[in-house]
Amino acid sequence: MRETAANSLVLSLKGVGRRLPSGGRMLAILNAIDLDVRRGEFVAVLGPSGSGKSTLLALMAGLDRPSSGEVLFEGERIDAWSEDRLALLRRHKIGFVFQAFQLLGNLTARENVMLPMELLGLSQARRRAEELLGAVGLSERGHHYPSQLSGGEQQRVALARAFSPRPALLLADEPTGNLDGATGRVVLDLLVKMRAEEGATLVLVTHDPAVAELADRRIHLLDGRIEREEAT
Amino acid sequence: MRARSWFALAARESRGSAGRLVFFAACLSVGVAAVVAVAGLSQALDRGIQAQARQLLAADLAVSSRRPIADVVIAAIDGLPGALRTTVIELPSVVSLPEDANGSGAPGPSLLCELKAVGPGYPFYGSVVTEPARPLAALLDDDRVVVGPELLVRLGASVGDHLRIGTTSYEIAGNITSEPDRLEIGVTLGPRVLLSMAGLERSGLMGLGSRVWHRGLVRLADGSTPAQVEAAAEEVRKAVADPEFVNIETYTEAQPALRTALSRVERFLGMVALLSLLIGGIGVAQAVRAWLAGRLDAIAVLRALGVRPREIFLLYLAQTVVLALVGSVLGAVAGALAAMAVPGFLENLLPVRVEVGWQPAAMARGIALGIGVAVIFGLRPLFDVLKVPPVRVLRRDADPLPVGKAVATTLSVVLAVGVLATATLQSGSLVRGALFAVGLIVATAVLALGAWIVVRLVGRVPREFGGVALRHGLAALARPGSGTLGAVVALGLGVLTVLGMYVIQDRLSAQLEAELPDDAPTVFLIDIQPDQWEGVRSTLVEFDAETVDSVEVVIARLQSINGVPVAELVPEQDEESRDRRWVLTREQRLTSMATLPEDNIIIDGALWSDKSRPEVSVERDFATDLGVAVGDSVVFNVQGVPLELLVSSIRTVEWERFSINFFLVVEPGVLDEAPRYRIATARLAAAAELPVQNQLAASHPNVTMLRIRDLLEKIVTVLEQVGFGVRFLGAFTVLAGIAILAGAISAGAVRRGRQVALYKTLGMTRAQVASVFAVEYALIGLVAGLLGTVGGMVLAIAVIRFGFEIAWAWSPTVYAASVAATVGLSVVAGLAASTRALAVRPLAVLRQGDG
Repeated sequence: MRETAANSLVLSLKGVGRRLPSGGRMLAILNAIDLDVRRGEFVAVLGPSGSGKSTLLALMAGLDRPSSGEVLFEGERIDAWSEDRLALLRRHKIGFVFQAFQLLGNLTARENVMLPMELLGLSQARRRAEELLGAVGLSERGHHYPSQLSGGEQQRVALARAFSPRPALLLADEPTGNLDGATGRVVLDLLVKMRAEEGATLVLVTHDPAVAELADRRIHLLDGRIEREEAT
Repeated sequence: MRARSWFALAARESRGSAGRLVFFAACLSVGVAAVVAVAGLSQALDRGIQAQARQLLAADLAVSSRRPIADVVIAAIDGLPGALRTTVIELPSVVSLPEDANGSGAPGPSLLCELKAVGPGYPFYGSVVTEPARPLAALLDDDRVVVGPELLVRLGASVGDHLRIGTTSYEIAGNITSEPDRLEIGVTLGPRVLLSMAGLERSGLMGLGSRVWHRGLVRLADGSTPAQVEAAAEEVRKAVADPEFVNIETYTEAQPALRTALSRVERFLGMVALLSLLIGGIGVAQAVRAWLAGRLDAIAVLRALGVRPREIFLLYLAQTVVLALVGSVLGAVAGALAAMAVPGFLENLLPVRVEVGWQPAAMARGIALGIGVAVIFGLRPLFDVLKVPPVRVLRRDADPLPVGKAVATTLSVVLAVGVLATATLQSGSLVRGALFAVGLIVATAVLALGAWIVVRLVGRVPREFGGVALRHGLAALARPGSGTLGAVVALGLGVLTVLGMYVIQDRLSAQLEAELPDDAPTVFLIDIQPDQWEGVRSTLVEFDAETVDSVEVVIARLQSINGVPVAELVPEQDEESRDRRWVLTREQRLTSMATLPEDNIIIDGALWSDKSRPEVSVERDFATDLGVAVGDSVVFNVQGVPLELLVSSIRTVEWERFSINFFLVVEPGVLDEAPRYRIATARLAAAAELPVQNQLAASHPNVTMLRIRDLLEKIVTVLEQVGFGVRFLGAFTVLAGIAILAGAISAGAVRRGRQVALYKTLGMTRAQVASVFAVEYALIGLVAGLLGTVGGMVLAIAVIRFGFEIAWAWSPTVYAASVAATVGLSVVAGLAASTRALAVRPLAVLRQGDG
């Protein structure tokens, strides 16, 4: 019974807190966060800027370490893992979409999409990259460098890259934050559609309630605490 | 990650970095070029010497000695199957034109020459090229000689004229264009005169000279293998009764003494070259740091995507190695080309004629050193990639990851050990490598400290005075993180090297060229027979010679020390034991004195203190090399008669005074029965030297006069040529420093571009902005130039005062020129590196905002 529960839980945060130095003193960014993310779920994290949304996302990905509490990924405590082990966890299990796209400028769009699969040593990397670029409508732009693409196009490449290794968990940080409304909508629709097709678990951070509406569950953060939680 | 994907990523990640990393490659290639040029030239020379070994020896096998080759040795040679033998005798002598040359009755002009009498068959290999082009045997007979072209020029003679050698007149039958076994390296006493054995016999010089070399040349049967040559040498060696006084050389050894000397020069120059490479290393470290600073975002993304820290480290390390490879290959090609060019314009400095081609071994060594230096200097900045926090993808101001201090310390140790390893490799000795590494690290540390202090002081200077350009320049120099500290140190090291070398050579030349001290003799006269002294002395007095001094000398050989034969004391022939071998086996000159000259000071024992035994007083350094002390017993062989002497005193001598002085002074009376000759010194006015030489050449032709002024002049000429070579290489260190400065400036191009845009927006013209930058670069050059010049001065003072123990003199104009040149170079290189920033249009930059 316990095992089944653990299996169905992708992420589990228990009493997680994070303090960061700011202006000579320690500032509590997150306080005693308890949060579970189940497999296949779409969770939106909402809150005004400075509420700790991005920090929460970083802790979930092992990009950052909690000051207190525990972070469990698929039942294993990861907060004390070495940088190496965390890197391997991200490589195998986690995909990202960032507000600032974060494509590698020296790599073409296709190479950016292929990169996570190459890290895993997947043999079909190129074919799947082409499929994914097709899925985000950029079949013809694979050979372009990020600087030759518009913001919306860059974010669509980033979506293709995030889904390419079929991650167990997809983390998205304000994916439409740097895009205008219409472009953002296109990207968001793609994200939702691809998630459904790939069956990925998605945690999406946003301050836009309209975006959050698409999620199964919405977590409202305020001043580093979970203010309330609601399900669709 | 699979290897293939990793290489693909490494290749993709390096895109767009190439332009920025031009300076990285430049820093390395300068040093690699210097290393390859030195190694390539020396390897080509070494190979040239080996390839021409037979010609350079003119034989397969040569036996040489200060005394005629013994009959048993000749018999042993003649016993070798199919062997041919001939003899060569070399000695210095003053030759002259006949008295009636100008009809005035005055003696004809004279010249100190190196005589060489050759037997039939000489040379067995190679050929003596003459003008007119005829076989040597056809030109030489008992009254005809051939001479070096310099003799004709100096004496104003021409082929067909008559030349007096010893007591006899000879016809000059031709001049020598090339002589296979004459190694023209360093200082020769004078031009060559080749004569036949019968010719030498007629001169009457044989038996009167003390500086004669006898050589027996052997040609073995055609097709003899090197092993057979060695076996033949062994046969001959067995026949030699006094092997420590006889040198047997085969062509297979290929001029060991010359090659040892060359390898010493190579090691010294190799160290200078290495210095420029290591200075380039500083540039590599800076370039890597600047490059990675621009890759932080990409590194964070890679980390977020799950690339492990060590994979990222390797990713950038691999790129560093590839760039180092590119820079090193370029440098190696440049160095090889430079080595090829050298024989063209430094022909006089090379002992043999060589064709320098591509030198694969030297190039490989240079490339390996270049990559090694890039890696050891790059590791520390590369290590910073481990600190990039992956959370930077979400928060740009994220703190760097904590990474163990132990690793950083380890990498500093790796750097120090790497410098030591390259220095040891280049110098061929751990001790010399360690001295170099410690010296370099100390010099770098002192320069860095000096630069840091200056920069801090500049930061405190009130900037109310001066114009905009000066104010801005001062501010830019003092600005934290301006990245110019490394450039200042590197440039300073280069200036230190070049100036230090120049000042040392300049002081040495000046010292040698300076008029000799008032009481010092200006000429040495050797080989005066006892009955000739009165005549020689009166000639000297006739030409107003001052301080004429003369002693009788007995030539002897050391036979044993405390009963141990010299043969057992002579160490194996290697470089370290060279001095000891020389003191044990040289022709020892013994003299007798009742009291010592004023400048001799007894430091141990007492002069002529043992009434029961004959005594000898030994000079301190010579005693150390011989390994004798007061109370020891030494036996000399005086023309076949053993003479046992007690070492009763050790003394010091002021050699710099050029007076007659001896390592060995024997108690009066002891040498009375021995055959002897006389040597003399005198102080002559410069203008009187040649007339005295001419007069003596006519009246006492066997007496050889050595003119100290003339010898010093020759030494100065060689010293200046060597100095030029050293400075030429030293210039590479400055070049490396300049490349680093340009690199540092270019690395800050984005910031500078923004600065330019701002200035232009505020209404400055492009020329004004350029002058603002020029002042900044001039200040950098000023600091580097001052620190380097002071450092070079300190180095030179230390070497001149404590190494050579000669007087120091200041040369302010040289120091000023050194600083000014550094300032000039900095401004030119700095502005050249800023051209792109200066061309920036204001709007283009300001629009980009902060991004």
